[in-house]
Formats: sequence, C-alpha cells, structure tokens
Amino acid sequence: MAGVGFRRWADALAKGKRSGISALLSGCRAASGASKGTLPGPYPKTPEERAAAAKKYNMRVEDYEPYPDNGEGFGDYPKLPDRSQHERDPWYQWDHPDLRRNWGEPMHWHFDMYIRNRVDTSPSPVPWSTMCKQLFGFIGFMLFMFYVGEQLPSYQPVAPKQYPFNDLYLERGGDPEKQPEEIKHYEI
Amino acid sequence: MGAHLARRYVTETDTEPDPAKKFEFDPQIGFEERKEREMLATQEQMNLAQLPVEQRDYCAHHLLKLMKCKRDNWPNFLACKHERHDWDYCEHQDYVMRMKEYERERRLQLRKKRIEAQAEAA
Repeated sequence: MAGVGFRRWADALAKGKRSGISALLSGCRAASGASKGTLPGPYPKTPEERAAAAKKYNMRVEDYEPYPDNGEGFGDYPKLPDRSQHERDPWYQWDHPDLRRNWGEPMHWHFDMYIRNRVDTSPSPVPWSTMCKQLFGFIGFMLFMFYVGEQLPSYQPVAPKQYPFNDLYLERGGDPEKQPEEIKHYEI
Repeated sequence: MGAHLARRYVTETDTEPDPAKKFEFDPQIGFEERKEREMLATQEQMNLAQLPVEQRDYCAHHLLKLMKCKRDNWPNFLACKHERHDWDYCEHQDYVMRMKEYERERRLQLRKKRIEAQAEAA
C-alpha cells in the first residue's frame, strides 16, 4: 500500500500543473498560528451579543467596547485603553507580578508591546514641551557659543613659533627645485 | 589673563597684533645688532631621528640628546633628568622669546599709531 501511495504522490507531482510542493501545501494551515477556538468571535451587534462577549472576556458590559467593525479581523475583541503595564501599581499583589496582571484579566490586543520593558506610557516627570525647550535651548545656546568662539578665537599672547631652515620649507612639503623665501629668526 | 583678547576685540582693535597674520615690522628696528638664532641640529640628524615636524625647532639638538639618553638607559626611565631639563628649559626660553616678539609687535604698532597721530596734529 505504501508503494502505491508513493506512486500516486509521484504521479500527482509529475502531472500537476503547479510545482509539486505548493500544490501539496496549498490547502494546509500552519500549525503555528492561532486555532479557531482562540480567535475572537464575530463582531457583536445586539445587546445580548455584547453581553455575551463581555462575559467571555471577563469584563463588565459597561467596560466592554469592541474594536470598530472595519473588517480588520478584531471581531469582538475588547478595545482596552493604551496604557503600559509599567503604570500599574507595583505594590499590589498581582497574580503575575512580572507582567503586573491578574489571572483571567482581559489582555490588550498589543499586550506584548506594553509589557514593562517595552513601550512605557507613564507620564514624564516634566511636560514634553518643557523637555523640548530645555534640550533645544541648550543645543541652540551651545551652537551660538561655538559660533562666537569661531568668530572671536581665544589664544595665548605669543608670536607664532619659529622654525629653522626657512620655517621647515622642505619638511612642510615645499618644492626642492625652487629657492624658498629666506626667513631669518633673531634672538630677543 | 585674557587682557590681550579684550584689547584685540574691544579696546585696541586696530593695534593689537594677530598672531595668525605676519608681523609687519622689520626685525632690526630698535636694535644695534641682532643675533640670529642658531640651529644646532642638522636636517639629516633630525631625519635620522625621525622627529615630527612640530619638534624640529631650535631646541631639536636637546631633544636628540634626550632621546639618545632615553634609549641608552632603557629601562631606567629616571636616568635622563638633566637632558630633559635642558630640553624643557630651551623650550621655555623659546616660548619666552615668542612672548617678547608679540609684545614688541604690539608696542611697535602703538608707536606707529602715536607717530601718525602726532603727524596729523602737527
């Protein structure tokens, strides 16, 4: 039987108009994806359906608000506030302290984005505008001061350093064929 | 400290010398006879010692002696105190000369301006 089965498979491979592997796999579903039971249900239209969906997600009906039915596949999944887990009380005895989450609690659609070492939505110590003002104020001030230092350079009150051999004409890459301008330095 | 900068940018902008530019006065003004600076190390010696360009100044012969001493006394890094002092002192004198040259240029500029003002007044 195994031989016959293999024969048929080989015939199918040879006769099939498409290439063999994709023809075989076209009807298959990847085992790594979500199964039907874990996917959200259809979008709730009636109050009864809403109540059922809220109960399914362990939520009160008042709190339950599904994603808008745009055909994006959210179904009846609840639209939870976009707040990161970092904002939650660290002193409360969470069932899962690392995730700051209780068992059975509804999960944000992007929960993996809002865990504690990813996106943090907690308010900053000072307002965003103040931070911008301070940062760009500092950068602008520094740029201005660099410009001033470029226009009015600081230097020591000394004459340029004196070098022998016509200020090192050859060493500084002068043309050996030409006679350099003679430079004499005197003691003072 | 920084008085020359105040003079250069604020009070005496026309007479304070700018070291980046060539000094304009003849080096012989105000001297009976001026001794020319002597270069003791030759170009060949400095080439053999592979001195960097910025160290090929009028103190190079002291530096050559110091390098030779360091090489001969390796690894005794405390050995060449005298040679190092000679070189440092020579570089110090070189710097003092540069300070004096600057001051000379500054005073000659002031003198030039004074003479011009007198000529105008007369």
